[in-house]
Parts: sequence; C-alpha cells; structure tokens
Amino acid sequence: MRTGIRTLASMAFTALLAVATTLHAQEMPDPADEAALYDMAKSEGSLVWYSGGALDTTKAMATAFQKKYPGIQVEVMRLPGASQYQRFMEEVAAGHDIADILWLSDHPSMVALVDDGMVAEWKIPTHDRFDPRYLMGQSAYAFNRVDSVIIYNENLVTEEEAELLRADWRNVLDPRFASRFAVTSAKCGACYAPISLFLDPAQANTYPEDFLEQVGAQKPAVYGDFIAMVDRVVAGEKDFAYWSFESIAATRRAQGAPVRWVYPQPTPAFPSTWMAISATAPHPAAARLFLNWMGSEDGALSLQRDYYSKPTLQGVEDSRSFVSEDWYQPPAELYEVDFEHWPERYETDMARWVKAIQQ
Amino acid sequence: MAIFAIRTSENPAGDFRLAQMKEQRRAARMQRWFGPERILWIILMVVVLAVSIAPLVFAVDASFYEETKVGLSDKRSLDAVINVYFSREYLGYLLNALALSAVVTGLSLVVGVFMALLVARTDLPRKGLMELLVIMPLFVSPFTGLIAWIALGSERTGFINVAWVRFWQVFGVDAGPLVNIWSFGGVVWVMFLFFCPFVYLFTIGAMRNMDASLEEAARASGAGPVYTLTRITIPMSTPAIFSAGLLVFILAAELYTIPGIIGTNAGFTTLPWKIYEDSTAFPVHRAHAAAAGTMILWIALIGLLLQRRITRRSERYVTMGGKGFKGQLLPLGGLKWPAFAVLALYVLSADILPLVSIMLSSFMRFSSATISLDLLTLDHYRTIWNLPDVRSATLNTFILAVLSGAACVVIGFLISFLEVRRSGRGARLLATLAVLPAAVPGMVYGIGLLWLYLRTPLYGSIWILLLAMIAKFLPYGVLVSRSGIMQVHPELEQSARMSGASPLRAVRAILMPMVKPTMIALLFFVMLQSIKELSASALLYGRNSQTLSVLTWHYMDGGEYQFASAVGVVQTVLMIGLVLLTRAAFKVRLERVMASE
Repeated sequence: MRTGIRTLASMAFTALLAVATTLHAQEMPDPADEAALYDMAKSEGSLVWYSGGALDTTKAMATAFQKKYPGIQVEVMRLPGASQYQRFMEEVAAGHDIADILWLSDHPSMVALVDDGMVAEWKIPTHDRFDPRYLMGQSAYAFNRVDSVIIYNENLVTEEEAELLRADWRNVLDPRFASRFAVTSAKCGACYAPISLFLDPAQANTYPEDFLEQVGAQKPAVYGDFIAMVDRVVAGEKDFAYWSFESIAATRRAQGAPVRWVYPQPTPAFPSTWMAISATAPHPAAARLFLNWMGSEDGALSLQRDYYSKPTLQGVEDSRSFVSEDWYQPPAELYEVDFEHWPERYETDMARWVKAIQQ
Repeated sequence: MAIFAIRTSENPAGDFRLAQMKEQRRAARMQRWFGPERILWIILMVVVLAVSIAPLVFAVDASFYEETKVGLSDKRSLDAVINVYFSREYLGYLLNALALSAVVTGLSLVVGVFMALLVARTDLPRKGLMELLVIMPLFVSPFTGLIAWIALGSERTGFINVAWVRFWQVFGVDAGPLVNIWSFGGVVWVMFLFFCPFVYLFTIGAMRNMDASLEEAARASGAGPVYTLTRITIPMSTPAIFSAGLLVFILAAELYTIPGIIGTNAGFTTLPWKIYEDSTAFPVHRAHAAAAGTMILWIALIGLLLQRRITRRSERYVTMGGKGFKGQLLPLGGLKWPAFAVLALYVLSADILPLVSIMLSSFMRFSSATISLDLLTLDHYRTIWNLPDVRSATLNTFILAVLSGAACVVIGFLISFLEVRRSGRGARLLATLAVLPAAVPGMVYGIGLLWLYLRTPLYGSIWILLLAMIAKFLPYGVLVSRSGIMQVHPELEQSARMSGASPLRAVRAILMPMVKPTMIALLFFVMLQSIKELSASALLYGRNSQTLSVLTWHYMDGGEYQFASAVGVVQTVLMIGLVLLTRAAFKVRLERVMASE
C-alpha cells in the first residue's frame, strides 16, 4: 500500500517540481540585482532555514541577515545530522513545502539532493570567488571550511606537549599521552575526516596499517557524543580531544574556557556544511537573497564572528579574535579529504575506528 | 417451538404477543448495537485506533523495506529484520540492554521497596516531607538529571570528587575519586535514581492497604521490626513488587539517552542507543531501527501481559486481606533515625545534589570543576527572558500539558468505565489496545506518527505532538482511572439507577465525585510527564511547535550545556510549581493519591 502511495506521490512531486522550478527560474531577477530581489523577498516576508548547526550560532547569523535586510523574518529550524535530509525529503514528497534554505552537514546527502534536482540552481554574485572544491555547480555552496584540530585544556597540556601534538598526528602514540585524551565514537563528517586521512591508501607509508589500533591501545576515554567529549576537555576531565574541529574549539575559547588547539600536520580541511535552496521553496526570493548574503563578505564576516568558522570566500581577511593571540599557529599543510570515495568507505572505516578505540 | 405454536394458532392475542416480543427483541438488538454505550465504545475505538494503533502499524511496517544510504526504498525486503533478529551485533546490543535493565530493576526494587516499607508501615519521622521528596525525581527530566550528574560525578572534575579530594587534603591524605559517572556503574546509578520512585509508587499502595493483623500477630509473638517487615510485610506485597519490577524493567530497557551518552565511555552500547544511531547518523538504517524497535516491543509486550496478570492477582490478594483494617505502625525503635538517614541519602542523591548542580551549571559560562566569581554569569537567564523561542516553547509545553492531561483523563476514564462496569470482550480489547503504546519506545512510535500524519495539516503543528502525548500517556489514564473506579462499589450506582436515575446521571452524581481526587492527581501526573516528554517530540516538532524538552535537547546537542541547564531549571520549576499548585488549589497531594493506586 505504501509502495503505491510512495510511487504516486513521487510521480506527482516530480511533475510539480518541474513546474515549480521553471516558474521560479522565470520569476527571479538577475542574481546581482539586489534591489529587485530584496523587494520580492520583502513581499514574501520570511524564510525558513533548516540548519544542522548549533542553535545559538545559527540564530546569531539569522539576526545578522535580518539586520541587513529588515522586513524579512528568518525562522530557524534545527535539524542535525541525517535527520534534516530525511525530514526534508519526506515533507517534499508529502507536498509540505516548508524549508527554503537547507544547511546540511552530510556531504553525501547534499550530493543526493543535487543529483535528484531537489535543490534549485542559483548562481550567487560571488560564485567565481569560491574554489570549485566548495561548490556543487550552482546548486550547493560550502561557505565555510572545517579544519580538524586537537583541542586541549591549557592548564593540563604543556606548550612542549602541544608542540609535539602539532608536529604530527602520530605523536599521540607517545607514552606520555596514554589515558590522558578523549576520542569519540560518534558518526559525523567532522568525526570522520582524520580517519579518512589515516586510512588513505596514499598515506600508507606514513600511517601504519594498525595505526587506529595503536591509538586505541593508548586507552583513550571514549565518548559516544562529540559535544560531551569537548565539554569534558573544557572542564579538565581529559587533557585533550583527539580530534575536534576549529569552530567548536573557538566557540569554547570565546566563552572564556581554558582551551587552545593545534592543527596537526597535515590538517584535514573540508567543506563540512553545504547550503542550498529548496527547489520548492515557499519563499524563493527570500531564500535567494539569503544565499547571496551568505556568499557575500557580510556573510563571511558573520561566519567568522558568530560561528567562529573559516569562510571559503576568497579575499576575505580572517578577523576572528583568536588568530592574533600568541599561541595561535594556522595550519601549515592541508589534507584534502577524498569525497569521491567518502560514501563507500565511510561506514566500514568508522566501524573499524569504533572497534579500535573500544578494544 | 413455542413461538412456532403461537404463530400457527388462530389466536389474535397470540399474534399480538408475538409482535410484542419481536418488537422487544428488535429494541434490545437496537439498544445493543446503537445504544449510547455502544456508540461510545465505537467512538473510543476509533480514537484509540487512530491515535495509538495506526502509528504503531506504520512504525513496524518500516522494518520490511530495503534501505538506501539516505532512507528507505520502495522495495519490500526482509533483510533488516533478518539482520537484526539473527546477527550477533544486534543480539549483543539487546543483551546489553537487558542486562543493564535487570541490574537497574534489581537495585530500584531493593531501595524502592525499602522506602515504601518505611513510609507505609513504620513510624518513620518526617514522613510527610519524605513522601514528597522521594517521588521528586519524577518531576525532573532524566535528561536534566543526566547533565547534573555529569557535572557531579565525573572522575576528575565532578563536584563530588573535587570536594572529596580537597576534604582529605586537609588531613594530608591523597584520596582518589569517590565516584565515576562515566562507567557502567555510573549508568546504573543515574538510571536507578530516576526509576526508584516508580517502584516506590507502585508498591506503597499495596503496603498501605495491607491487613495489619498478621504483622501485629508477629509482633505479639516477639518478632522485631526487621523480622516482621522481611517475613510478613514484604511477602504479602509480592505481587505489587513483581508488577513494579516489570514496569521498571520495561522502561529501563527502552531508555537510550543515559546508556548512550555515559555508557559508550564504558564500552557499553545498548539496543535503544543503536536505534537512535541507526535513525539519525549517516548512513541511516531506518529499517534496522524499526526492526530493532520491534525487539523491544516484544519484550515490553510480554512484560505488560505478565504485569496484567500479576496486577489482577494483586487486587484479589488485597481484597481478601480485609479492606479498611489498619493496624498500628511498626515502631522502629532505635532504627528510626538510621532508617531516616537512608531515605535522606536517597533524597540527597536524587533531588538535592542534581538540583544544586543544575542550578550552578545554569549560572556558569562553561563547564568547570571549580567555581569562581568570574565564571558566573546571569546571561543564560537574560537570554531565556529575551529569547522568543523560550517563550513560545514554554507556552507550547503548557498547552500540550493541559490538553494531553485533560484528554488522557477523559478518554482513560471512559475506557476504564466500560472495562470495569460493562465488562465484555469489546471493552477489554479497547482497554488493551489503549495500553499498548506504553510498550513502544517513544522514538519508534514518533516515526510511525510522523509517517501517518505527514500528509495531513496536523504535520508540523502542535497537534501532532498532542496526539503523540495522548497515545504515550493514555495507558496511565486507563490504568489509574481503572483502579479509581474499582475502588467504588457498583452497588452505589445501582441504587441510584433503582431510584430512577439515568445511567449518565448515576455516573455523574455518584461515580465521578468519588473518583475526583484520583482524576485530578492523574491530570497533573500526565501534565508532568508531558512536560518531560522528549523522544517522540524530538522527531515531530515543527518550527512553531518546539517544547522546552526539545529546546533543552537542541542546546545540549549544540554544546551549550550551561544554557541547556538554565532551560532545564525553568522546566523543573514549572513542574514543581504544578505539584504545589495541585496541592494549594485542589487540596490534592499528588504524591499521596498516585501512591495509593
């Protein structure tokens, strides 16, 4: 019975999608014509943003947009992880068009949305200022880059030890670090990035076959929840987290927590969060204006100020407060995460990691 | 044969009687099929099928689909069911859940029964205060309690351990940590604290109503209080204890937050946490999650059936013991204050320490083992005050609590009335179906509701949350009002009927006033449960229908533990306020009425 309903619904949806996409494409002004777009957006009055990010930082960015474009209300709906894709797909199939903007932290999910035509094409005015790695054609944009870091409690890790950790991911195997650090068994893009480095066949000479098992043999504390792991480092329960990502570490430091971080060499850097406009957005003009703003220098500034994240828009100065602190050293060498093999390797690699750390 | 004889006679009076009998039979048939009670039964059945059963069917149905990396395909498949039911991995998670549940149940039974004994059968001092404090954990969200105990019991930085180590340092002793919440023992401890009040609530009624003559006979024969309690009182309460144990076992087996967040640290993964991972982490395994949910469903169903049998036996047992006979309370003598100290220790661990901890956290800028002035801030409360989300979530929480409470009371009362007063197969079936959602993990149930109502205007509104809460808490409505109705002898209503009152008037004038205190207690109990509900709400909320539980979860999931603590404090204050309001406005002591069921 459900199969029948699903098939009918998906056929009806495909037809509607085609019509809706065509209508939107016809009605929208030129992406660079901000005044016309703003007028249309104001007449729509609001937009709905499905966000996988932390609620307070997402809201801070929404507020920054509203300040620049009065008259457009941004409603944030937090849907982390895979639940955002699931919910969006189910809603669209049922004819409930709620989301205007999607902000997904799962790369494969966004690829699926683009491939299925679920998101609208929109070439933002700053499109050409982005490296192609941070674009999925004109359909999805990664406005910020996520760098993997080792976050440590500055009261518990010496400068010499921090230097050791910065030099090489493998230095965590130093006997002095046994039982002092935390890892997570949670499944997420940011959780996976360094694992993809350690298991990359091209890196086989650097990271031995049993590297994950050697990390596990250091008896780290295993946290099922990524955030709980970072919180325990902040509190001083564990000396450092083998690994976290830059923006979460910076957020804690901005709150006054005694934490710093290093970018071990090479540093996995990847577009973790992708933003796109729903092909059936109920507020298409507001959604487009929002995407333009996120891709602009104002958006980049908000990403730095409110999300403590590194914008991918080229030519923007890094204004985050911590970059001018004495201890801060930017990543020296970046590792580009292999997205082509990500979907097929992700599950088995993560399973191996979980087994290794729970030995 | 007689009818045939009359029909074939030439007698006109016989024809008249025949017609009269036919008319009476037709009227009786009409009464049976279209009488007010039958119509009521049909309406209730439709409500129960739509609200409670249909989502369950949808949730189970999801087990039989092929999975894609991001959801379910349209193709039917048994792969997920086979993989879940026959793989070492999932069976291992199930065993872990059962083992954890068994340990938590055992511990909760020992302490819960002990506390119930002390309160119901002894001359324990400060009993009135203890009665309220013992069940206070029911008014705190387990999620809030979890945040509190992470701050209290972390090995190196927990407030308890920091205080312990510093205390011994004064004497020059280098003491190790006293507790470690990030362990299997930690999981058991936190779960025990939150499930113990259930054992207390479900056993104290039986102990209060117990015939005291056997205890008095034992005492007259020279038995001490310990001997009397362990050899007389506890054995007499065995059915109630079994019943409470089964309930805690089921609830503990389906809980995912506490075992998931703390247990992983101890290398301990349970089935409910696996269901959560399968449902939320890429690549999602929705069919696996649904199939694993059915595993818990079977266990819970067996448990519920056993509980039903045991409850029936328990009721017979109490009736036979002689209603209303209250003997003297057992004098504890020199054990009075040590016994009080044991209860006080529980209250300290389950109420005072977590509440103090969560209050402290709510004023801190970030997690820390030590507290200094520069760490403290009022910002979280300022934000709460100014954040429209918190205001709307508070309003939604309140609306949902009131409506779900009222709905569960009304529907629960009507179902129980039919079951108890008009006992028949149909009424029993209705009551059983209404109780069924108690056996389903909220997350699995939420998925079913989502799929069922996705294509309706209810989707994304506060009303779908209301349906989830009615379904989830209707079992309480049915079970509690059933006990309430059973306490009123049907002869009273029959007398009213014989004096010419209609059935409705007999119920309104006799039964309802007598069960009113129970119904008020039930109303507020369901309201409290609704305020805490998270597992189904987290799946079903829309952008305008967030609740305080969902908001707390969002902030905690986003790393804002301190802000989440502040929202948790608001939620707890709201619940404690409700308890006090019940007491002040309706003169109903929730802890006393709930405990007498």
